[in-house]
Amino acid sequence: MLETNVDQKSFKFKIVLLGEGCVGKSSLVLRFVENKFSCKHLSTIQASFQNKTVNVEDCQADLHIWDTAGQEKYHALGPIYYRGSNGVLLVFDITDRKSFEKVKNWVLEIKTCLGNTAEILIVGNKIDLEEERQVTRQDAEAYAESEGALYMETSAQDNVGISDAFESLTAKMIEHSRTRSTEPPSTNRSIRLIDNDEAERSKKCCR
Amino acid sequence: MSDKHGEEDKKAKMHLKANDLLCVNGCGFYGTPQWENRCSKCWRAHQNEMKKCQDFAKNRSLLSFDQFQERRKSTTESKSRGIKNLFKTSPIPEGGTSSPTSTSPASTPTRHSRRRELSPDSLEARQQFTDFLVANLSTGMAQEIARSVKNAVNKISEMRMSSDDMSELVMSYYQYLGERIGGHSLFDSPDCKVKVEDVMDQVEKYISTFCYSIFFCANHEEEVADMSLQDRIRSLHWVTAGFLETKMVFKKQTVRDKIDEAISELIEINAKRSAFEKLDCLTKSCKAIFEALKESEASTSADEFLPTLIYVLFRGNPPLIQSNVKFISRFAIPARLMSGEAAYFFTNLSCALEFARNMNHESLQMEKSEFEAYTSGHLAPPLSVINSACNQAIYVLEGTIETITNVAKKAGSLAKNLTNMHGKSDDDLEKMLAVIKETVDFYPTDEYMNMKQSIFAEEKETADILVSLSRQSSESGRGTLTDTQPSTPQPDTSLESPLIAEIQAINLTSSGNQEHVEEA
Repeated sequence: MLETNVDQKSFKFKIVLLGEGCVGKSSLVLRFVENKFSCKHLSTIQASFQNKTVNVEDCQADLHIWDTAGQEKYHALGPIYYRGSNGVLLVFDITDRKSFEKVKNWVLEIKTCLGNTAEILIVGNKIDLEEERQVTRQDAEAYAESEGALYMETSAQDNVGISDAFESLTAKMIEHSRTRSTEPPSTNRSIRLIDNDEAERSKKCCR
Repeated sequence: MSDKHGEEDKKAKMHLKANDLLCVNGCGFYGTPQWENRCSKCWRAHQNEMKKCQDFAKNRSLLSFDQFQERRKSTTESKSRGIKNLFKTSPIPEGGTSSPTSTSPASTPTRHSRRRELSPDSLEARQQFTDFLVANLSTGMAQEIARSVKNAVNKISEMRMSSDDMSELVMSYYQYLGERIGGHSLFDSPDCKVKVEDVMDQVEKYISTFCYSIFFCANHEEEVADMSLQDRIRSLHWVTAGFLETKMVFKKQTVRDKIDEAISELIEINAKRSAFEKLDCLTKSCKAIFEALKESEASTSADEFLPTLIYVLFRGNPPLIQSNVKFISRFAIPARLMSGEAAYFFTNLSCALEFARNMNHESLQMEKSEFEAYTSGHLAPPLSVINSACNQAIYVLEGTIETITNVAKKAGSLAKNLTNMHGKSDDDLEKMLAVIKETVDFYPTDEYMNMKQSIFAEEKETADILVSLSRQSSESGRGTLTDTQPSTPQPDTSLESPLIAEIQAINLTSSGNQEHVEEA
């Protein structure tokens, strides 16, 4: 598992991107990692798996961003993707009410699957299309708050709010992992393991 | 009484009609009650069908990745206790290993004999491992690691337990060894070229290669489950790129080449022994898919990648893929499956397998009956543009037809142009002639003028003669004119044709004859 420590300065996080097809998941990552935007998606790099190091308050976090397939037929595969992730980025399109409703489904699923082990950030994308907006900021914010999630609005096309979104999610994950690392179960387990291994080693050497 | 009974029996038998005795399947043969009124053939088919259904239901639950993960998770929590027990009892083979699912004793002898003769792969792995340790680490450390790992391998081959328990054991060993060598100051010094992870990679490679026969596909049930998954994927051969919504452009040769590369790499997974190499094959396969996506000028997001991976999985139907996936998740270094590129691809492969297992008519948005008909092979899917997208032959044909149509169109327009050109050249010729005539009329040359004058003079002479002749004839009388006239022009016609007209004109009207000559 990932190393966790209160005084730790470097972190490794797995972030999973979820959202319906065409809401701009891949564009978001591309903009964040490469600072590029392409209407035709003609990129030279693959957008489905990316690494990026982010500095937040004197801490360094290595983000592994996993893109997922958004089509309805692959919806059931979600748990396989977000298993073991530290953060989930739920993307919806502010001009598409349906994609927002879908986000609510995801939140429910994630809560049942991961419990509170992952931080959730809901992102309303495509604010460059303000005149076609169907989901109001107030609605989305209220919903996110009720679920204990963050809410941010971005535009991958105009590069608005994207690094902010990733940074605030990272900050929240760092906080999360610090508080969690002080909890007994994870640390306790590793200690017990080492103890056993020591005993086992002595046995091995004798033989 | 007995007689009566017999009679009743007989009666009852008499009541049975020939139809009642026939097989319920209506195949025309006679059926028997113990075969549920089927004939022998239909009964056997029915039994097979039933067995298949049961097998699939059973294997499906066995195959379920979730269940496996759950199990793994739960065992992780009770790891410490489990390991203690295992190590305590390991020297005594049948001793109380906590799991009753330990492999059957029957398979043990073969395993032992396999282990005694080291396979070339194992020998090579050992060589590589020792080379690596000697080259990169201090002698003392290398020896210590080598001894520890060899001990572990020996222990593993002595033990008989289920793969999941074995996995726990190996995982804890990785962690233990990693922590032990990680604490060594050697790795902190700048002289050290290798990292703890590199050493662990080698350890993993060594262990998984050496204990491959024990680790891989040890459980008979899993093997059967793998086979049934393979059958399932085979029955889904008709699910092509079109159904999966990929934007792959199969018309391009480069795209097809990349897809083929991805398929062969995916199949190659089964040929490799260590988890590291298996994951390497998977990574290569996935990279080839990305290449293909780039060639198709599609986006390289997961929206495109996963369907393509599923397509590649269906096309390749790699052998024992399920067991390979389980092998990797059981015996690879955990960190490898938690982060990094390989982990992402591995997760995607797990997703693809999960999709293959659970795929139904709903996931393809079609009628249930239609889906089942295609899967059972009763019906061939229609050759629409999308679902034949992979069919190379059709594309070649389509390409040829297109070329032919183009050529025909071009030939048509060429013919039209030619006709136009002909018409135009005729027109132009006429126009040019007219222009030449006009020019010549306006600016006659001296020669022409001379010729014209000589002709004019000659004509005039002839006309004078004619006039005088006509005068003579009119003087001599009417009868002679009709007699002489035909005879005189006859020889002339061969020499100068305009003269005939001239003569006739003169005969009719003596005036205006000069104009006629000029025109001719």
